[in-house]
Amino acid sequence: MKRTALQFTGVSSGYRHRKVLDNVSFSVEEGEFVSLTGPNGCGKSTLLKTAAALLKPLSGKIELFGRDIRGISPSSRASLLGVVPQKIDSPMAYTVYETVMNGRIGYAGLRGRFSPADHDIVERSMIYTDVLKFRERSFTELSGGEQQRVALAMVLAQEPEMIMLDESISHLDINHRQEVLQILLGLNREKGITIVLVSHDLNLSASISDRFLLMETGKIARAGTPQEVLEPALLSRVYGCDLSVRRDPVSGCLEVTGSLDTLRRRRKLGAAVHVVAGGGSGIELYRRLQIEGFEVTTGVLNRLDSDAEASRALDIRTVLEQPFSPVGGDAFRQAVDMVESCDFLVVSQVPFGTGNLINLRLAEVALEKGKQVFLPSGIADRDYTEGKAANSLSLDLFRKGARLWESVHDLTGMLHQKTDQ
Amino acid sequence: MQRKEICADNRFTGRVRSKERFRMILFLGSVPFLLLLSLLLGPSGIGLPDLHSTSGQAILSLRAGRVFTGLITGAALAASGALFQAILRNPLAEPYVLGVSGGAGLGATIAILGGSGMILSSGVPVVAFVSAIITLLAVYLIASRGSGGQPSVYSLILSGVIVSAICSSVIMFLVSSASTEGLHNVIWWMLGSLQASDTSQQLFSGSLVAVALLGAWVISPRLNALTLGREMAHYQGLNADLLIVASLLLATLLAATAVSLAGMIGFVGLIVPHVMRALFGPDHRRLIPLVSIGGGTFLVLCDALARTLLAPLEIPVGVITALAGGPFFLMILQNRMKEAWIG
Repeated sequence: MKRTALQFTGVSSGYRHRKVLDNVSFSVEEGEFVSLTGPNGCGKSTLLKTAAALLKPLSGKIELFGRDIRGISPSSRASLLGVVPQKIDSPMAYTVYETVMNGRIGYAGLRGRFSPADHDIVERSMIYTDVLKFRERSFTELSGGEQQRVALAMVLAQEPEMIMLDESISHLDINHRQEVLQILLGLNREKGITIVLVSHDLNLSASISDRFLLMETGKIARAGTPQEVLEPALLSRVYGCDLSVRRDPVSGCLEVTGSLDTLRRRRKLGAAVHVVAGGGSGIELYRRLQIEGFEVTTGVLNRLDSDAEASRALDIRTVLEQPFSPVGGDAFRQAVDMVESCDFLVVSQVPFGTGNLINLRLAEVALEKGKQVFLPSGIADRDYTEGKAANSLSLDLFRKGARLWESVHDLTGMLHQKTDQ
Repeated sequence: MQRKEICADNRFTGRVRSKERFRMILFLGSVPFLLLLSLLLGPSGIGLPDLHSTSGQAILSLRAGRVFTGLITGAALAASGALFQAILRNPLAEPYVLGVSGGAGLGATIAILGGSGMILSSGVPVVAFVSAIITLLAVYLIASRGSGGQPSVYSLILSGVIVSAICSSVIMFLVSSASTEGLHNVIWWMLGSLQASDTSQQLFSGSLVAVALLGAWVISPRLNALTLGREMAHYQGLNADLLIVASLLLATLLAATAVSLAGMIGFVGLIVPHVMRALFGPDHRRLIPLVSIGGGTFLVLCDALARTLLAPLEIPVGVITALAGGPFFLMILQNRMKEAWIG
């Protein structure tokens, strides 16, 4: 009967001041080949460290082959789970054989003596990963791919029932990657070893995994077959960019592609977007709108404001006011001219006070001139004007046809849609 | 079955190729001769003293006492250095890296200056030993608070350096305001000497070092995995945190004993582990016994030179370790730097 290899139940985990995993639950069945993916910094490595009991979970329960990991001794944990890290850093000049031998240390007695059986296992692991020919060479002299195979041999020497790889293959060239993957597939299919592969390569993972775990900022966004997880809408949300999925006509595998070609097409459109920002709230908008091919203008900003610095660095046409002064009439008139020549107006997540409330009037002007206006969510939370004037003005603007944006990805999507019309 | 065991042993020692084996036999074989040679050297003349006279017997027992002190001090320093280099994964680690010398030095200075009449001369080593241990505990606590739980390598090294610096500035202040005699005593203590202290202290230190070396030898197989980092050691089924704490304690015990016995002798704890690694490989199962023997013999030999070269004047042994040992070890390392450490 198949067991559950790894089970997370409501696990939260992280570091001293930062919770990374938030109430995560999932399971990996014995004999599965699972890919763990997700954007940078979403908590994949933390999940792996927590599963290997290197990090104590803040709450929740983790079971390894049906046993609570808190009750497993270090050596029996090593017999259940082996971890191949991103890179092994060996400062001293150990030979490859000595390095692989480390995989048996958990089973050695107090004096660390290795039995003939230990040596047999080490040699078998080295044959399996094709590193026996390097046995007397120094580990540090080997190339990255060879080192990674030695690391795999070392973990195999533990004879674990499950292996987790932490982006261990992403920096290998295509040849070595195929080689390591073939070894992994062999282990999975022939020996029934459960594999969890942390990988950024969605296509590669799609072609070899039974199942996907897709993570999104400390949570599992979806767990399922490649077909269930590789959905354009889901991936676009998780990764925050446009992705499309199609089936490769030759191999029949799912293929995820970014939309660089559509970007190139859009670049020619060059619709003009005026951004109302301030206090650093505009930087991400400027960057993304420029990348997506829009012509960006901004204002009114105070000199020395971090958005003003950014707009200068990005070569964006900007209306400026004196530092730390309320927006005056001259600057406002210039900004109105700018708004009149743009196609869209976007208000960033800038806090409003009496000094810059007038900037929100620009949105009113734009609406009157028949331009599309996009307002951010949560203006009320950032409204420091007397009597929440900015909030009531924004409600008025929504009534007159302004649209709401939640994430930059949403926003660019809506802008492209409008431009295409 | 018995046969198979032998086979297995050969497989393991596959690394010890004929060249290395020859080197090891040469090294281990020369140790008794070098120790004997040191017994024959001294300010009273080269060769065995007249054993029929009382003065001759006294000279021999004095030399034997120094050989014994040199052996345990050198072994303790070198093994401590090897342990620190493995735990901290840093080629610059040495017995004094975590502030042991600073703490011991401060304790000894206060004892020498504060109680020249009150505290007996045998009290200084005890004070030095205790303050060295206290310093390490302080460094460890500061480092663990800084990194929240298990201290990282860098936080340990940094707090060690800072605590050492604080200790040495206090020492400098005390020395600058001390009498000429006190100044002289402190400086000589710091330069280090194997001048035999009383037998009970020798025996006590000897047994401490023996116990700590045994402990180091027991954990030595696991140190190999630990050099791949705490995480890797953990993944391979070791209790990495326990292993690190145990190694730190053993290394500090060794260093503190050495300092309390012979003052601050430099160089042995840093270089002997590197040279032994270059000659015989980094496997700690072999390295720990080899550095102990190598460090002890090296220090005994240096001490013999120190008391003979300018007799009746005695050169501080710490001067000889670096001055005579430096070029010799540089020659070895020049050709075999890669085998010693790859950064």
